[in-house]
Amino acid sequence: MANVEESPLVEVKGLSVAFAGKSALNAIDLTLRRDEVLGVVGETGAGKSVLARALIRLLPGNAGITSGEICITGRSVADMSDEELRRLRGGEVALIGTDAKSLLDPVRSVGDQVADVLQAHRRIGRKQAKAAAIEVFEKVGIVDAEKRAAAYPHQLSGGMAQRIVIAMAMIAGPKVVLADDATLGLDATIQVQVLDLLVSRCRELGLGAIIITHDLGIVARYCDRVAIMRDGRIEEEAATSAFLAGPATSYGSQLLAAAKARPVPMAKADCPKAPVESAPSRPIIEVLDLKKYFSTPSGHVVRAVDDVSFRIPRGETLALVGESGSGKTTVGQCLVRLLPSDAGSVLFGGADILGLPDSAFRPMRKYIQMVFQEPYVALNPRWKVEDLIAEPLALDGSVTTGEARRKRVLEMLDLVRLPARLASVFPHQLTAGEQKRVGIARALATRPDFVVFDEPTTALDIRVRAQIIDLVRDLQRQMQLATLFITHDLNSVRSLAHNVAVMRYGKIVETGETEKIFASPQHEYTKMLLGAELPIEHFAG
Amino acid sequence: MSRIADFTAFILRRPAALVGLILLLLQVLAIVFAPVLATHSPTTADPIASLQPPSSEHWFGTDVSGMDIYSRIIFATRINLLISVTAVAVAFVVGVPIGLLVGYYRNWLSSLTMRVFDFIQSFPVFVLGMALVSVMGQEIWNVAIVLAVLFIPVFARLIRAEVLSLRDRPFISAARCSGATDGTIMFRHILPNALTPSIVQVSISIGMAILLTAGLSFIGAGVRMPVPEWGLMVSVGSQQMILGVWWVSLFPGLAIVLSVLSFALLADAVRDYFDPRRERG
Repeated sequence: MANVEESPLVEVKGLSVAFAGKSALNAIDLTLRRDEVLGVVGETGAGKSVLARALIRLLPGNAGITSGEICITGRSVADMSDEELRRLRGGEVALIGTDAKSLLDPVRSVGDQVADVLQAHRRIGRKQAKAAAIEVFEKVGIVDAEKRAAAYPHQLSGGMAQRIVIAMAMIAGPKVVLADDATLGLDATIQVQVLDLLVSRCRELGLGAIIITHDLGIVARYCDRVAIMRDGRIEEEAATSAFLAGPATSYGSQLLAAAKARPVPMAKADCPKAPVESAPSRPIIEVLDLKKYFSTPSGHVVRAVDDVSFRIPRGETLALVGESGSGKTTVGQCLVRLLPSDAGSVLFGGADILGLPDSAFRPMRKYIQMVFQEPYVALNPRWKVEDLIAEPLALDGSVTTGEARRKRVLEMLDLVRLPARLASVFPHQLTAGEQKRVGIARALATRPDFVVFDEPTTALDIRVRAQIIDLVRDLQRQMQLATLFITHDLNSVRSLAHNVAVMRYGKIVETGETEKIFASPQHEYTKMLLGAELPIEHFAG
Repeated sequence: MSRIADFTAFILRRPAALVGLILLLLQVLAIVFAPVLATHSPTTADPIASLQPPSSEHWFGTDVSGMDIYSRIIFATRINLLISVTAVAVAFVVGVPIGLLVGYYRNWLSSLTMRVFDFIQSFPVFVLGMALVSVMGQEIWNVAIVLAVLFIPVFARLIRAEVLSLRDRPFISAARCSGATDGTIMFRHILPNALTPSIVQVSISIGMAILLTAGLSFIGAGVRMPVPEWGLMVSVGSQQMILGVWWVSLFPGLAIVLSVLSFALLADAVRDYFDPRRERG
């Protein structure tokens, strides 16, 4: 017995992987013991997912292991036959991927799919397999498991689908669980539930788990050890507490610093103009009882935005916080009139803009701009950066000549700290962070008074996210913008919002100054949201 | 580097496209130098030389009225490509703007337009072709018009489908927020992104048009003898096929196959070429 205990579950020695000659992993050494949760952290392109797939020899066709050795429970994966590999995958090592819904077969019930996995690894009858599936469903916290087993993937929420995928990973009793960004895209409250469950099941059964993520908050809360990856190498590996106390490498400290919230430097007193204007300044934008209803094909009416009111003065940021489906993005789209509103008014500089005909509203777009969520898809792929940034300038009467336009574009690139040479490239040639900056430059090109930022920090790597937060904060102070900041990322709210409004089911349930809300939330839902946050400060001490 | 040189360089790196390009160039040569390449007059009957098998005198043999098949195939390239290219060009120029408008503005007029397209496309192609040609007369241009009418809905639908998927994309919303008008959004944002499938379709459609021209002639609804046209030649030969006279139909048939193939191969290359994510090199 002692022998078995001593041999690590996963042992990787000097592993290198290359894609068609291009190195993806470089001399990776890694060990995972029983009863251990290892976090693998890195930014996009660091090779995290390649590592997970190499462990079960599931690399894409053009990738190959060039050197090194992988041993799972003491046996080399390289020496395994196809049949042994089949038993390894799902049987000994289970992989949980991102986006559970796309991992499930849409035309089979989830109970059947999970039962299939068990039957692939054990000689067991169909009935017993289905019974076992339902049992596992209960263990992963699925209420009414028997009924759920008959459901199809599209009938499940994202969180539920992720649980099914976890059940699928657990059912054959694996020794190692690989979770590759398993909770990416889930709401924070759901993410915490899913990860709590996953890790507690692993601990109960004494499994080894590798959690691949870009979120150091997850590592801080769940992992015993952490490996920091960069460019296909492991930069450093340490016990989580040791890493949080003081990373050994400069890259590690950069990541850690970037993941921490910026202290709020924007209390109103900081605002240079505020003391001068002692009289209550008129808000730039004022939303009164805004309503937007959608009706589903079945005739059901969804109150996406239900009596929402708020006001934003010059130079201030209101963060609209809520989970997916809360209606926060719809509010933003109603404000810039991408969606018609059903009732209420939006006063811009005191005048209602909802009642205006399109032709009268169009010139006002100069003052009201929006930065879109997904950096890449919000840029026309066939336009050069220069043309993209210049497009809104058609609204600006002061920029008429080609020369003036060019000058403003360069000015804007400089403002968002992009080099001027990027003016002549296409969006797909930019990194995600650069695309985001172009989106911001474009929205600010006409020097607007009010800007809606829709989820500006999602889908970005840790360091890039921190840079974008810093940028937005600087710009806002420089330009004295009134900003509506739509997000579910509480960390960024802390860093750049003066006030917070918490939305749920189309209504604002709580609103107030950022610090107050974070310090003493009143509403149950706000408390739940804050409870689901994984700020590393709590762990870093 | 100019666009054409760039595209040529692109094709030279792909063997399939290169075959397509070579076949296309052969057709262009046949069109330009038909009188030089042909060994006989394509429309002169010679009853004495009726149904001769391939020989050094008649490379591909002769048909029932003694016309030289090789020379007719060469001259037919002009007719077939003229009809097909004209028909597809007209269909493209008319169909693309219709598709763009119909996809962008979704009102009663666009629904009506789509129903008209349903109506056109629900007819069997040959029945419609026969009806139109018999009304207008069996002239080359009428065949081209018939084909254009048939292909307009194809391009309009293709563009419309792209427009429908593009119009709700975030970059269109972003353009609207930047103050873009409907015209700018349609022509500067949507159209360039919606055009690629249609450009690929041009190549595929030319191939199809060649087949349809040949098919219409084969059933007697296309051009009439003695105009050299591949489908008509296959049709003429089909009557003697069972008597063991294979050459009359085989060679024009091969010409159709190679011509259609050349456009199909090029279509693939064109699609890859217009992908904005392709690395230019």
